[in-house]
Amino acid sequence: MEKIFTTRSILLWILFAVVMCAIPFLAGKGFLRICIQAFFLAIYAMSWDVLSGRTGYVSFGHPFLVGIGTYATAILSYRFDMPLIASIPLGILATMIGGTILFLPALRIKETYFALVTLAFMELIYQLTQVVRPDLTGGTRGISGIESITTGAINNYYLSFGLMFIIAFSLWALMRTRLGNALSAIGMNEEAVKGCGINTTKLKLFAFLVSALVAGIGGAFSVHYFGSLAPRNLFDINFLFTIIVAALIGGSSTIIGPMIGALFLTFLLEYLRPWVPGTERFFIYGIVALLLYMYRPSGIYAIFWEVVDKFKGKNASSIKDSTSIQGVK
Amino acid sequence: MSVVLELNKVVKRFGGITAVNELSFNVNKGESLALLGPNGAGKTTIFSLIMGEHRQTSGSIKLRGEEISKLGTHKRINNGISRTYQVPRPFNELNVLENIRVGMMPDSIMDMIWKKSDEKLEKKLADNVGFSSKEYYRTPSELSMGDLRKLELARTLATNPEIMLLDEVFAGLTVGEIEHMSQLLHEKRKEGMTFVIVSHDLRSLEPLVDRAVAMTFGHQIAEGSFIDVMADEEVRASYLGE
Repeated sequence: MEKIFTTRSILLWILFAVVMCAIPFLAGKGFLRICIQAFFLAIYAMSWDVLSGRTGYVSFGHPFLVGIGTYATAILSYRFDMPLIASIPLGILATMIGGTILFLPALRIKETYFALVTLAFMELIYQLTQVVRPDLTGGTRGISGIESITTGAINNYYLSFGLMFIIAFSLWALMRTRLGNALSAIGMNEEAVKGCGINTTKLKLFAFLVSALVAGIGGAFSVHYFGSLAPRNLFDINFLFTIIVAALIGGSSTIIGPMIGALFLTFLLEYLRPWVPGTERFFIYGIVALLLYMYRPSGIYAIFWEVVDKFKGKNASSIKDSTSIQGVK
Repeated sequence: MSVVLELNKVVKRFGGITAVNELSFNVNKGESLALLGPNGAGKTTIFSLIMGEHRQTSGSIKLRGEEISKLGTHKRINNGISRTYQVPRPFNELNVLENIRVGMMPDSIMDMIWKKSDEKLEKKLADNVGFSSKEYYRTPSELSMGDLRKLELARTLATNPEIMLLDEVFAGLTVGEIEHMSQLLHEKRKEGMTFVIVSHDLRSLEPLVDRAVAMTFGHQIAEGSFIDVMADEEVRASYLGE
């Protein structure tokens, strides 16, 4: 196995956990609720990034995966009174199985076509949830009154942060192995990866399964936090773009980047609310994302390392090293 | 010598165009074969067919007597055939060693996760093709065309092939680099590696090959020793314009 854990990286992870765990002692409940939203967005963004950020297969249908996890858990729990200990794992499993069955043929197509097919999946499930068995899905109104896992902002903060932390750390460790290298290499030149004797379809399927697993976890847990689901919000183009933009402006093809992007976007949208209460907020965040992506396409995470290296007096090439596929990401 | 690679009446049509027409030739173990022909003769298509990047319209391709026409590219590579490309295909965001590392990767997800990369071997392969230690951490954007070709060769060697298909291996190399590359190929031949080489640099090619197959417009027009093939009238007419 590659040397994944260095003292520095472990210390940074511990520091991150300690700082985040201290926040409930310092901040109000409103702040914590924004954090919870950000943590769930970070889970979705990391899930998107494992597939799209690494392999370059841009998925426009991620709410489709989140939706399967959300609906499956909600239906099992709310309609069939299944205990959460069973409904959540089954919801996650449903995401992986359902997503694979529908997405598998799409992995053989590329680029724009892949993006369009995945977008079609999102629209497909949106329509299906309204038409097929509305007695189960709640039709256009969705489902409300879903059982909570825990109550209170502080408990939910720790639960959602714990989930995000475990997912982020696991993905970070996984992507520091040669598997991470191979997935990134697919994003750079898939034909050349094939030319190295590697079955890229198998790798993409694995990336997809991991992506679906993470999306399923996010979807299954979030529906028990919010207590309701509405198809119009879940399969909304704004939700889709928020996931993608969070991954991109934070730093695609990294693990830290989508978390930074999710926190940045959620807080930006929330703090814009007093001045721009309507959906015009998305216009402002769109401009921010556009400017950032035009001038710093590698995202906020790369900017952070540039600043750190500037303070240390290193040159630009060392920044490239620090963000290379074996670096701390 | 035993036949390792056998093409029998291979045809490849792209729509109405016949790129390869009933081409047959064998490659023996440890042999080095030159595939000659003018631009558009179908040489690169032959490589793509052998590697499974394109499927032949008809005919058979056998590796050590086994039909491989239905195998995917990765399986053919894992069976010991590998190729370089006319236009190098580096991983642009990876440095030289990381590029080679991808070539050395096992085709198993569990092995990718649990098995460690062999940095010593990565460096050895980089050294073999002529990279200095200073160049290990350079990305493709910092390399010349000659270096990219060396990188391509190192990555192909990293797949541990028994048969190598080299497409325009000398293109873009300086005189010194050609000499180094020829030396390397000589060494690999001594180790028993089998080669099929496409190159327009006939002077550099001649000492490296045992036999040659010449083709034009997808047809095979001559086969034999390099000197005999180059002396063939039809080859001279099609290839050299004489």
